[in-house]
Amino acid sequence: MTTETVTAAQPFVMDTAFWTATVIFLLAYAVIISEKIHKTIIAIFGAGLMLVLKILEQHEAFHLEEFGIDWNVIFLLISMMVIINLMRPTGVFEYIAIKSAKLGKGEPFRIMAIFAVVTAVLSALLDNVTTVLLITPVTLLIADALDVDPVPYLLSCAFASNIGGTATLIGDPPNIMIASKAQLNFMDFIYHLAPVVIVMMVVYIIVIKLIWGKKLVTRDELKQRIMNMNENDAIKDPVMLTKSLVVLGIVLTGFIFHGVLHFQPATVALFGAGLLLLLSKTHEPHHILAEVEWPTIFFFMGLFIIVGGVVKVGLIKWMSLQILELTQGNMFATSMVIMWFSAFASAIVDNIPYVATMNPLIVDMARQLWPDLSGVQLLQHPDLMPVWWSLALGACLGGNGSAIGASANVIVVGMSEKAGKKISFMKFMAYGMPIMILTVFMATIYVWLRYYVLKI
Amino acid sequence: MKAKDLMIPLHECLTPEMPLVQAAHLLKTAKRGEEIVGVKGLPVLDQSGKMIGFLSIGDILKAVFPSYMSLMNLGDFTWDGMVEDFAKKAACKHVSDVMTTDIITVPDEAPLMECVDHMLKSNVKRLPVIDKTGKVVGMLYERDVFYEITRAMDKGAEGVCR
Repeated sequence: MTTETVTAAQPFVMDTAFWTATVIFLLAYAVIISEKIHKTIIAIFGAGLMLVLKILEQHEAFHLEEFGIDWNVIFLLISMMVIINLMRPTGVFEYIAIKSAKLGKGEPFRIMAIFAVVTAVLSALLDNVTTVLLITPVTLLIADALDVDPVPYLLSCAFASNIGGTATLIGDPPNIMIASKAQLNFMDFIYHLAPVVIVMMVVYIIVIKLIWGKKLVTRDELKQRIMNMNENDAIKDPVMLTKSLVVLGIVLTGFIFHGVLHFQPATVALFGAGLLLLLSKTHEPHHILAEVEWPTIFFFMGLFIIVGGVVKVGLIKWMSLQILELTQGNMFATSMVIMWFSAFASAIVDNIPYVATMNPLIVDMARQLWPDLSGVQLLQHPDLMPVWWSLALGACLGGNGSAIGASANVIVVGMSEKAGKKISFMKFMAYGMPIMILTVFMATIYVWLRYYVLKI
Repeated sequence: MKAKDLMIPLHECLTPEMPLVQAAHLLKTAKRGEEIVGVKGLPVLDQSGKMIGFLSIGDILKAVFPSYMSLMNLGDFTWDGMVEDFAKKAACKHVSDVMTTDIITVPDEAPLMECVDHMLKSNVKRLPVIDKTGKVVGMLYERDVFYEITRAMDKGAEGVCR
């Protein structure tokens, strides 16, 4: 056992609890990757094991920020899902999608580019899964109307959602988790990630133009089908739509100012969800709440407890020491290792469990580096900030690397197969991996230039 | 009255490999007793005569209905000729691709109330009737159950509902 170097820094023992927790953690991750059992079931069972074997006390799992469930993440996710579920029947998403297709004047590539931008923007404001659930059906309809292959549109939609989601705190679950752990606010993400995401989107549009631009052709009479659609028909409930937009406006404004107002993002979202439920005048909240993606929520809760277990026994500390040893405490090297490792790891593993593990690891690393600091001073140490951004960029953009890299990809591939157009794992990767490498490469240049050369 | 007393004996059936276009024609020209009247659904039997599915007009509508349409409200954004286009594409699908495999059957000895129970609880209008060996011997239609009920009502109402 190589405990000497570890114990020299800050002592912990590789005892039975350490190995038990490590085995639970590794087995849970192995089964999640293998997809033999539903990931939510494994997360809940693994969490149950951590508790019943007394690795974690129930109190630690439920009430301690360090080892337990991050309720800020849970309530932010639930609240945003409730808001979207209330908005969906108004027809606003159908309206946006049809309007976008008409803006493209029925030109296949123009529509693809506009859809990519709309998907990226929606993904930045909603989560990626919701966005692709709302965009993919319309994409398939438009492809049928134009009699073109829907696969390029669907792939483009998945890639754009993963790139766009990187831009904001609420855009992708890794960012929600990172923000909560590092106590970063909405504007921090806009300020540090949105600029590079905008550049990535411009490059992305050029790339898809080169890949698919010439291949997508249609006839003039088919373009007319698109132009004959009336987007106003989509709006089914204008009153509720107005209420929804007002509440969404309040929530987004709340996100922009939550740092200044000292609210957590979940507070803003929960208030918005409560207000919109009240305004909807529904007497049956049951079906709105039932539509919350509970498996995802429980997946998060289970993971937080499993990771809490390995944090408590010291596995995460051991891992962070290995990284520090590898990079010799050089923060630029650390950022780069984390960004590229995160990208490839997220392409293989779900980026949610990955970030759930990396978050405490980075906090631990910071404690080794600056043992005298604590709280925000530690979490947002100027030298640590590029590491957080590298984690966010790597984990979010890495999602494009494979068909299972992000939940949005899984949904797009599933819908495509249902529509009779199978996208094989290799086909997804043939496009996704180069796009992932290109965007992560751009992120590398950005982090290096902004934080290590220009230092702004 | 039992299921076997009211059922219409089975003349036609479908096979899983049959193309949808052929199956649709069979539904259109199926006999009911001696008359060619068409039926709204037929059982799908494998080579050994075992029922493995059921194909109804509803399944054929589903075969031309793109899966993405059920995910959002897109009915307003369809175009003239869309159903026809999808029907052309669906013509060569196999019966096994679109048939319903979760089927409710009744034994030929089942009392009529058991059949009504299935019809109401599972919201089906046709029940395949099977014999002791598991073979489909006929179809029980909602309409025939209704006729039986009217006959019984007529008897019961004589001299009562005045």
